[in-house]
Amino acid sequence: MIRLWFDKGTILLRGEVGTPYGKWDPRVECYRIKALHYWDVLAYLKESKLAFQDDVPNLPPVQQLNSTVELRPYQKEALDRWRHANMRGILVLPTAAGKTYVALKAISLLKTQTFIVVPTLDLIDQWRKRVAEYLNTEAGAVGGGENTVKMITVSTYDSAYLQAETLGNKFMLIVFDEVHHLASPSYMQIAEMYIAPYRMGLTATYERSDERHSLLPPLVGDPVYTVGVEELAGEHLSPYTYEKIFVELTPEEQRAYDDEMATFRLYLREKGITLRSAEDFQKFIMATGRDHRAREALLARNRALKIALNSDAKLRLLARQLEANSNEKTLIFTLHNDLVYTISRKFLIPAITYQTPKEERREILDDFRKGEYKAIVTSQVLDEGIDVPDASAGYIMSGTGSTREYIQRLGRILRKVEGKKAKLVEIVSKETVEVGISRRRRHKKSKEE
Amino acid sequence: MWKRKGNIWPRYARATEDTLQIANSLIEAYKNQVGEKKSVLKAFAGELEDEGYEYRFVRGLACLLDRKGTFKCNDKINPVELRRRVFQATEKFGLATTTERRNRIVETVSSELKITPQAVDEFLYADLDSELVFEKFEPPTTDELLKEYNLSLTQTLLFDSTELNFTASGNWQKIFYAVKRLGLIYEVYKDGGFWVKIDGPASLFKLTRRYGTATAKLLPIIIASPEWTVEAKILWRYTNEICSFKIESWKHRSMLKSPQQPTVSYDSIVEQDFAGQFEGLRTGWQLKREPEPVPVGKQVIIPDFSLEKEGVKVYMEIVGFWTLEYLLHKMEKLKKIDANTLVAVNENLACEKLADLQKNAQINIIYYRDKIPLAPVLRYLEGAFQSVQATQTGFLKNLPVIFTEAVVNYEEFAARIGVSTEAVKVALTEKPPEGYTVMPSGLVRKDKLEQIRKEIEEQLSRTGRLPLPDAIRIIETEGVSDATKSLETLGYKIVWRGINAEKAEVTKP
Repeated sequence: MIRLWFDKGTILLRGEVGTPYGKWDPRVECYRIKALHYWDVLAYLKESKLAFQDDVPNLPPVQQLNSTVELRPYQKEALDRWRHANMRGILVLPTAAGKTYVALKAISLLKTQTFIVVPTLDLIDQWRKRVAEYLNTEAGAVGGGENTVKMITVSTYDSAYLQAETLGNKFMLIVFDEVHHLASPSYMQIAEMYIAPYRMGLTATYERSDERHSLLPPLVGDPVYTVGVEELAGEHLSPYTYEKIFVELTPEEQRAYDDEMATFRLYLREKGITLRSAEDFQKFIMATGRDHRAREALLARNRALKIALNSDAKLRLLARQLEANSNEKTLIFTLHNDLVYTISRKFLIPAITYQTPKEERREILDDFRKGEYKAIVTSQVLDEGIDVPDASAGYIMSGTGSTREYIQRLGRILRKVEGKKAKLVEIVSKETVEVGISRRRRHKKSKEE
Repeated sequence: MWKRKGNIWPRYARATEDTLQIANSLIEAYKNQVGEKKSVLKAFAGELEDEGYEYRFVRGLACLLDRKGTFKCNDKINPVELRRRVFQATEKFGLATTTERRNRIVETVSSELKITPQAVDEFLYADLDSELVFEKFEPPTTDELLKEYNLSLTQTLLFDSTELNFTASGNWQKIFYAVKRLGLIYEVYKDGGFWVKIDGPASLFKLTRRYGTATAKLLPIIIASPEWTVEAKILWRYTNEICSFKIESWKHRSMLKSPQQPTVSYDSIVEQDFAGQFEGLRTGWQLKREPEPVPVGKQVIIPDFSLEKEGVKVYMEIVGFWTLEYLLHKMEKLKKIDANTLVAVNENLACEKLADLQKNAQINIIYYRDKIPLAPVLRYLEGAFQSVQATQTGFLKNLPVIFTEAVVNYEEFAARIGVSTEAVKVALTEKPPEGYTVMPSGLVRKDKLEQIRKEIEEQLSRTGRLPLPDAIRIIETEGVSDATKSLETLGYKIVWRGINAEKAEVTKP
């Protein structure tokens, strides 16, 4: 009798038959198959009219779902396209367009064991809340110290990767939130080591500058539905204004900045190095491991950048802005944690970074939603996913040159609330490298660094 | 890391003046900074880096030292609670965009909690990593620190490994237990000794670093064994090249921290007693604990002991607690081993009738109560030795060997073809090859003996007498070691004058 079973993120097949999807493994004298091809192997055996015993899935019990999800027309269309593509595929929807609801609806239709993979711990919380609210069932969680597997289970990418050996055969549907993360070499193994035949990818920013998004379709399915911010702004997203304000470094900052940049440029000139592309920069970074002077130059550049990004002038401007817009619900974004804490201490407002204890972070976000806090300062941890429905003002104090980061930060203030007019302000140090960074992030179609 | 011609190895810290000095000053600095904030500790390490020392080395040592103490949050005030009050006050008075408003917020909270306004600022983020206070430092010695650094460098390199091959002189039970626990796959193969190849299920599909972390965790368990060789394939992340990495105990043991002293460990007192008593006897049999993994089909058996003498090897298993079913299953496996195997079974713990076992057993069993009796073990060993020898002798007798050398030494010949010396002796003396004379330590070709006779005759006719030492010199120069026996065979006599060989003479019969 042919037998199939799950072995640490792969499937083993024993019997008098091979399969086009597997490979003979002499170590165990069985055929070994990627979990990704589970469905294909089943189809192959059935087509061949072979009797077999399938011990692969080990699914948690099904729970009763009571769906109260109502979809908007474009969400409905997205879901239909996905269903027509054999319940595989990627949906590209802007932040705040309600990707979550499309996935929740899909779960309520399939009524099957579902694994939701998300980039951050905050998003685990958020998805669990949504599942409880719209499907009336409690979701399990894997990651951040928790480890409970239920019919619907939410996990971080990290935990999904690390625990693929034990979780890989427990779900039939897998939802990748912010699916662009999946294209990294290690996370791709998640898609390979889970058996789930039904797969959904969600993102607002599908394309990656490294082109690795082209690796996703075999793992998740093709992009089956795409809609942009412009098509939804006004009707489904809040209208918004954008402003870029330049500040001048203080004289001391300017002097220090010029000194550091001179050190950096001198080194490049002496070595005849030009830094045009990401690859050039990568090479330079590698050289700093061997060459002491290269490292000095890199450190000088980093210090200069830090001066530009964290200038006192920015703080003074921020103070004036906050004073003048004291009724807006405000999010302040920075690149580095240092600046988060400087701002938090200066204006005595709550901060969220990766160091914020989980409970406190939950409490701050809840209080912010309820309107008990009016401003939060954060580094990159809130870039993705977290809903703050009526936040109406965003200040970008510093960031990378990434378009994705920019779109995501913008997305945080775009969720539709009647009568809301959102505003995004970028504060940039004049005549420094930051000007270029800022230009890159807003440059249409330019991609990530 | 160093990389050259497809090989890669970490930049191990050696005990040079420079490295010792850095390690020492870091340890001292950590000692002096107990009670300080983490940011202060990091600033010191940062200074050392800026002084031009290899920053990765400094950072690596500092990272290890961090783990030798604990970082604790100041417990006078709960910072989370403090922040909650501060932020709530901010909501009441408005964002602290002016100094005046900021002071009002801070003062409100400070009077609520009955602390000073300075304390509000000081403890607001006392739970941040950089603010934690260092305590309970247990300083390592410089040597320990460097060894630990080298081990962690090696493990970091192994994070990027795609496969590992190793051999070890012991600790096998623990090694295989860990391999299983870590979700790795092993294959045992023979290359000189027994080697083990380690990778994981998905390694079948492509080169993957997925099992690198688990492999790195295995390393300390392998190198806890007294002797080892470890080789790995590293998929170098910057260039995607495959590089080879190799460390060997004789060369690297002194540089790497080993989690435990390389000692032999025993599962039970019975085993330990047996090993002690057996070794006390000096039987000529060499005893080894957990000698090697022996492949049986796709599985592996690690015998408790091996006993070895002149190329004859016997494996020995000691079974303490058992059921008949367990024992039979074990026997089934042991039977497949292509070697002599002896099983010592505890009859006190017999769960089923021993008669059943005796009936079903197809393997050599001895029984013991509290201690393993040595006599039956030795009897079995001698039996095994003789039967191996008999087999070898028979084999040798039928071996179509044509010797060409003038002198054939038994020991060398036995070693060359891999049988025991005794077997060679028996086979060659019973039926010496044509043209050879049997001597105690080997065969000598007859024309060689004639050559010796000629030289002795020459000497005798020239001087009329031949002192024994001269005769021995002549014989040994010809490459023959059994001098007196050669003289006897050629019919000479040795006339002794006292016990001094110098004065003895060789005469014609």
